[in-house]
Amino acid sequence: MTEAVGAVLVVEDEPGIRRFVCDGLHRAGYRTTEAATAHEGLAAMASAETQLVILDLGLPDMDGLSFIGEVRRWSSLPILILSARSREQDKIAALDAGADDYLTKPFGVGELLARIRVLIRRHVPDGAPIHRFGAIEVDLARRLAMRDGADVHLTQIEFRLLAVLLGNSGKVMTHRHLMREVWGPGHADQEHYVRIYVRRLRQKLEDDATRPRHILTETGVGYRFQP
Amino acid sequence: MPSHRFPPRYPIALALCALTALAALPLRGWLDLANIVMLFLLVVFICAVRLGRGPAVAAAFASVALFDLLFVPPHLSFTVVDAQYLVTFTVMLAVGLITSHLVARVGERTEAMQAREHETRTLYELARDLGAALNVEQAAMIVDRHCRGLGMTATLLIDVRPAGDGGDFACHGASLTDAERGQAGAAYRDDRPTRIDAAGRAMMFLPFSGATRPRGVLVVAADHGQGRGLAPEPLLTAVASLAGIAVERLHYADVARQSELETQAEKLRSSLLSSISHDLRTPLTSLVGLADGLADLRPRLAPEVAETAAIMREQARAMHRMVTNLLDMARLSAGRIALNWQWQPFEEIVGSSVRLLDDLLANHALRVDLPPDLPLVRFDAVLMERVLCNLLENAAKYSDPGSAIDLIGRVDAGGLEISVRNQGRGFPPGRLDKVFELFERGGPEPAVAGAGVGLAVCRAIVAAHGGEIVAENRDGGARVRFTLPMGQPPALTGEPG
Repeated sequence: MTEAVGAVLVVEDEPGIRRFVCDGLHRAGYRTTEAATAHEGLAAMASAETQLVILDLGLPDMDGLSFIGEVRRWSSLPILILSARSREQDKIAALDAGADDYLTKPFGVGELLARIRVLIRRHVPDGAPIHRFGAIEVDLARRLAMRDGADVHLTQIEFRLLAVLLGNSGKVMTHRHLMREVWGPGHADQEHYVRIYVRRLRQKLEDDATRPRHILTETGVGYRFQP
Repeated sequence: MPSHRFPPRYPIALALCALTALAALPLRGWLDLANIVMLFLLVVFICAVRLGRGPAVAAAFASVALFDLLFVPPHLSFTVVDAQYLVTFTVMLAVGLITSHLVARVGERTEAMQAREHETRTLYELARDLGAALNVEQAAMIVDRHCRGLGMTATLLIDVRPAGDGGDFACHGASLTDAERGQAGAAYRDDRPTRIDAAGRAMMFLPFSGATRPRGVLVVAADHGQGRGLAPEPLLTAVASLAGIAVERLHYADVARQSELETQAEKLRSSLLSSISHDLRTPLTSLVGLADGLADLRPRLAPEVAETAAIMREQARAMHRMVTNLLDMARLSAGRIALNWQWQPFEEIVGSSVRLLDDLLANHALRVDLPPDLPLVRFDAVLMERVLCNLLENAAKYSDPGSAIDLIGRVDAGGLEISVRNQGRGFPPGRLDKVFELFERGGPEPAVAGAGVGLAVCRAIVAAHGGEIVAENRDGGARVRFTLPMGQPPALTGEPG
């Protein structure tokens, strides 16, 4: 279940939250390093071998964005953000600054472990051109999508959007990020394009477009594909 | 003015002439008459310089008469034998009159200049003192003090209405009668200085303005004790406009101070809210996580303990939702929440709300009915998700497990209408209009937990979006409907769908 290459660094100033996060990680077989401040966290990263960072955005001694920027100067380690609801702008800023994913407080241990598994696995690309989820099968190489064995027609943009979502499976993608990946730079003020095309994808691929099970909305932030 | 200090000027002038005549009388034999004329002209000149124009003219006539009477033969008679003396008299009179006129004019000019200089100094000192005034009372006292220096009392009437329509004045200085106030109001509305002489007391009403709008009226009255009239109108107008500038400066200083205070209060409020928010949510987050962790323990917990842990987790989550609602309500009622307006399909937040309430809705059959071609609507997704979550949570809490909950969206002329309906007991009749009020509960002692904040938050959020929200009892259940204005969604260019 785990790759014992390094520890998970938990940077969180609240002992209660740190405790249950670390307990959950231990039970799942991960090693952990704990840090109560951003500076401790940076020091721990320099000294110990780390495979993933869990970072609370509300640290007392340093702005979360500065921490991410500091780490990103020399490392591409996955960073998972913990943040409160109604701080969506902070989350977007953190994701744009280089964080990989976020969890909204309060969260359960199960959600946390699921996110961590996705982030660690992402570093080992499976490279398979064929993705299957629900009744859908997508062949990225041949640009084909099928539902219960029957062809589903996707336009070029729809397919490109789907490919980006599949390529970042399990990870949250901000509207701006998707805009840039699919439409190219220079469309920053046209985020409604993303929303309209996601709606079309859902209508073609989901059983119930109003209650999607694979292309999920992260309210105020973006979208997440879940196999 | 010299005229006030030397009231008996004419007798003095005549006495001077008589003295000169007496002094010259013994010299009558030795001095040539032309030189005696010179002595008289000197007296006229002195009179003009020291006593003014009138006495000098009188002295000129008296000199001619005395000269004729005492010096021109025959003496002690006005008879003139030699006709050439008539020329002497005429020239003497003309020189006396012209001299007195010229000298007096120079004197008058000097006096006028001195008066102007006095006015200028008064205005300068008034402006300097007004510049140091810290409030309107002080400004009124300063104006009054300077006016007293000019023999008047002053009152400032300040228009306290923001619109500047003169409906209500604050009076600073000597109090005024109702009639005088009425007169001041009329002058203010007409923007025209008005002068009255009531009961022998001269008063003047001078409206004044700042740079942006009319500010009030300066009322000056002649001070009885000094027996002097009002200062000239141009001076009073200048005093009034200085008062206007000072009042406006003080007004904007006040406004700046006020907004500074508000900014401070706003900063304090939001930092208080965010620290409360942090302090309340953090332990709840720990509680949810720790209770959740119990379910993972090996060896497995006894079933009743695991059930307790699950209940703890659910309660902590419910508490967290309540805290979130309360904090949102605090932010919304402060009126300073900035909406993150985005054009988006409404079903996006339906999916995410349902996912957030997964556990809560597990025992109900949720039926979603939204037209697939719903146009984009402009709203703040996070806030609108809170509305939907609150409505769905209420619908589930106030109905039996296994019953259905309907979420229906329709577009009509009024915009997008979303309704959430359950099959429970409905709202208590007669209280339908009250359910959206803060801390209002369904009944006196409802069996279901809650603080009566959820629907209040819904109403505040929907109102912030320019929509309306209504509670009803329909089809054997409670129904809440709300609308969102549709607007004109941005165009989508590019490949066809």
